[in-house]
Amino acid sequence: MPTPSSLLALIGVACGAFALTNAASAQSKPVTIPVLVPLTGFLSLEGTSQRNGADLALREVADDSVRYDVSDTATSPEVAVNALERAMTGDNVVAVVAPMLGTQMLALVPLADEFKVPLVTVSGTAKITELGSPNVYRFFPGDVVVKQAHARYAVEELGIKKPAVVFQTTAYGQSGRVELTRNLQALGSPPVIEEAIDVSVKDMLPVLSKVRAAGADALLLHLHAGSTALVIKQARAAGINLPIIAGSAMHQPQTAALLEPSELAGVCAESGSSPISGGNPKIDDFAKRYRAAFDSEPDAFALGQYDAVRMILAAVNAGARTPDAIRQALANNSHDGLAMRYRSDGKGNMAHDAVIICYDGAGRTPNIVKRYENVTGAR
Amino acid sequence: MNYRAGTVPLLAIIAVAIAAYAVLFASSYDLRVLTVSGIYVILVLGYQFIFGHAGALSLAQGAFFGMGAYVTGILGSQLGWQFTATFPLSILVPALLAATIALPVLRLESHYFALATLALDQGLLLIAINWEAVTGGANGLPGVPGIVIFDFAVPRGLALLAFVWALAAGAAALAWWVMHGLYGLSFTVMRETPLAAGALGIDRAALRFVAFVLSAAYGGAAGALFVHTIRVISPEVLGFAIMVTVLTMTVAGGRTQIVGAIIGAVLLIHLPEWFRGLEQYYLVAVGVALLLVILFAPDGAAAYLGRRTVKSQNNPQPNITPPDLCPARTSGLKITGLVKNYGGVRALAGVDLNVAPGEIVGLIGPNGSGKTTLANLLTGLDRPDSGCIILRDKDITGLPAHRIARLGIGRTFQTPQLAPSLHLVDAVAAAHAGDGDVDLATARADARAILAGLGLTTRADQLCRNQPHGVRRSVDLAAALARRPSVIVLDEPAAGLTQDEATTLAAVLRTYAANGAAVLVIDHDMTFLLPLAQRLVCLDAGHVIAQGVPDEVVGEPAVIAAYFGAAVTTP
Repeated sequence: MPTPSSLLALIGVACGAFALTNAASAQSKPVTIPVLVPLTGFLSLEGTSQRNGADLALREVADDSVRYDVSDTATSPEVAVNALERAMTGDNVVAVVAPMLGTQMLALVPLADEFKVPLVTVSGTAKITELGSPNVYRFFPGDVVVKQAHARYAVEELGIKKPAVVFQTTAYGQSGRVELTRNLQALGSPPVIEEAIDVSVKDMLPVLSKVRAAGADALLLHLHAGSTALVIKQARAAGINLPIIAGSAMHQPQTAALLEPSELAGVCAESGSSPISGGNPKIDDFAKRYRAAFDSEPDAFALGQYDAVRMILAAVNAGARTPDAIRQALANNSHDGLAMRYRSDGKGNMAHDAVIICYDGAGRTPNIVKRYENVTGAR
Repeated sequence: MNYRAGTVPLLAIIAVAIAAYAVLFASSYDLRVLTVSGIYVILVLGYQFIFGHAGALSLAQGAFFGMGAYVTGILGSQLGWQFTATFPLSILVPALLAATIALPVLRLESHYFALATLALDQGLLLIAINWEAVTGGANGLPGVPGIVIFDFAVPRGLALLAFVWALAAGAAALAWWVMHGLYGLSFTVMRETPLAAGALGIDRAALRFVAFVLSAAYGGAAGALFVHTIRVISPEVLGFAIMVTVLTMTVAGGRTQIVGAIIGAVLLIHLPEWFRGLEQYYLVAVGVALLLVILFAPDGAAAYLGRRTVKSQNNPQPNITPPDLCPARTSGLKITGLVKNYGGVRALAGVDLNVAPGEIVGLIGPNGSGKTTLANLLTGLDRPDSGCIILRDKDITGLPAHRIARLGIGRTFQTPQLAPSLHLVDAVAAAHAGDGDVDLATARADARAILAGLGLTTRADQLCRNQPHGVRRSVDLAAALARRPSVIVLDEPAAGLTQDEATTLAAVLRTYAANGAAVLVIDHDMTFLLPLAQRLVCLDAGHVIAQGVPDEVVGEPAVIAAYFGAAVTTP
């Protein structure tokens, strides 16, 4: 007959074994990283890049320790919130690839805070990291970074004195316009005209006529891909050969494909990176794998999202198997990605470098002409 | 909203099914989607007022939704106001906006109305995007609080679901209360037979106004709830996509049925979620599913289910004593110098005509002589260029049709104007819709009695759309008589009738005239008109060319030359 002490010891051993089994189980249990991106609507081009970047990184996981599925968030906050709710019903969700559309992110942040799950995104909207949430991590330089590079390149490198700012009437457009104008003013070259364009506008001549009438010496664009291409094409057709420094949409190969090389002469753009520009073997290899997987050219959104997911996977490989552990890794670690070195500034802004690319008028592949590293000094 | 027998059980089944699913099986995601569905139920119920019941294609429902959302979003996120204050304001502000713009907008018809309401939506969208200091611009405003009622925060999940669906049930009950009686019948008549509406004393402008304001109020309520669940307000709530969504829900579910609003909202919110795994191809799947719904249920899913669940209603017919129809007040009609031009065509060139109480006057003339124009001017469907129409010593010239009808002039039409979706009894009962002191039961009882007098007792519960021509003419007359007009104008009432039907019609008219009514009958059938009319008036090219005793008028050379072409033999 067992004595009380031996019985207690037996129970202790059993409990210990159970705890160890559970711990082992948690370690071996697959983690889930849902990918919620806009695949339809006016951001489908950028959203597809975002999806592809995440997808490429997740495909590289050799075993089945990481699961993921992709959901379209379209362009409304409601659909994005539904998608996150649904994603969170999955097993062991440790982080979520979240849409790049600012208004969707603003709706997702409070929900992510309730679920206590980190969101990684390439959204440029400044406000998403100003909400005080510990769950937002941006792997694309925000407006604070890229718009400073945008303005500095125009003023310091090109000597622009009277810039015209044309921006989109979307969250992306209005958010970037504020930063761009602020930087231009700080550099002593305030805009001589600021014009807003709706994404549905196809005839850009009225705006271009105003720009010409205002006596601008450069056109600074902060538009989505379709509008960017239309403004450049119609400006060149109208004989407006001002230097054009565009927003990050211009760096996308799909945007350049809408224009003739001759129309691209004198066109530059800010971006977080330019994976097709070459010069970096690791990025060249990424571009090669991307083309093989998706039969299209990679852009900075794809690379930024790729780097983001790689950072999460690195944390998972290091033993982070819970949302909290992933959040700790994102908040406190740095990650040497392909595009740049990422580290949180305490608000979730991970990317602090920007590049300026320019087209030479002979082709659609841009060259990186200027790098702005650690722009905000946060890294 | 006149519900058939299968509707209430269907509602009960849906309610139980949703409740059981929510409590027993739903995940937090399922609860959220169901919550959003409940919000859209309120939005669609509102849209049913203007699009379904009033039959006006408003494209402003998204604007009212967005306005309600912005009121709650701004007040909640910027000023910290609670639900108890923001929710009523979110209802009130769109309703006031609708009431304000109703005057210019509701005067427009069909696509002009649609474009005007679309302009409202686009105008608000521009304001939301560009008034950044207040609305947050395209970024919108984050930080909208959840629903807090007197310091009790409604938590997400089941509680929020129950709260939203309780409000949806309240909204449905209010919609039912508004639309369940004679008032609802008047909407059906207005929507399906706008000409008849005025002739039956139904004020189309008032109905459209009420429907527009109610749709705005419901839209505002839905917008407020929506922004509480999303927790951020942005211009997407004013986007045309919202309008397209609510329009699709209403068409797919049903334009006038509460069940339709529920089915449409739940279906359209869930369909994309069910197919979301197809990534960018899910829209194709949603499109195919909607196409199937439209193909198999063109009148909406609710109507489709209703047809399948409702048994044939063969109500036992009580023995009904036909009433001795008397005009409410006796009065003659006096017309002086009535002129009407359509561009360069003079339809009426100074017509003078009197019809005394108890008199039956026949109006004849060749096609294009101005007979129907005269009937339209008398009953307010058109306005004369000059001249005077006097009823009971009151000048009613140019008054709107519904006011003339309420003053005591009734009419029938060349082509009977009957709402196809109404049963005969309701098509006649609707004549009392303009009488505020008559309830539906009383109106139906009166309608059955009048139909019995016309030999239509057994058809009273059949649909108007299924009736032969002769029956439709009789029901048209019954609806006109139900108002007990002092003066009744009949435009070719015997056209297409059998001999027996024409005989019955003549008898009814003789009796009604004998009871003191003034009767003006336009017809080409002399075998019907000559024995009936006590006096005959002949029009030609807008002029009265003869009037007097029928036998004498038909013998006048001018009448023969203009109309008959040969001498007429009196039957």
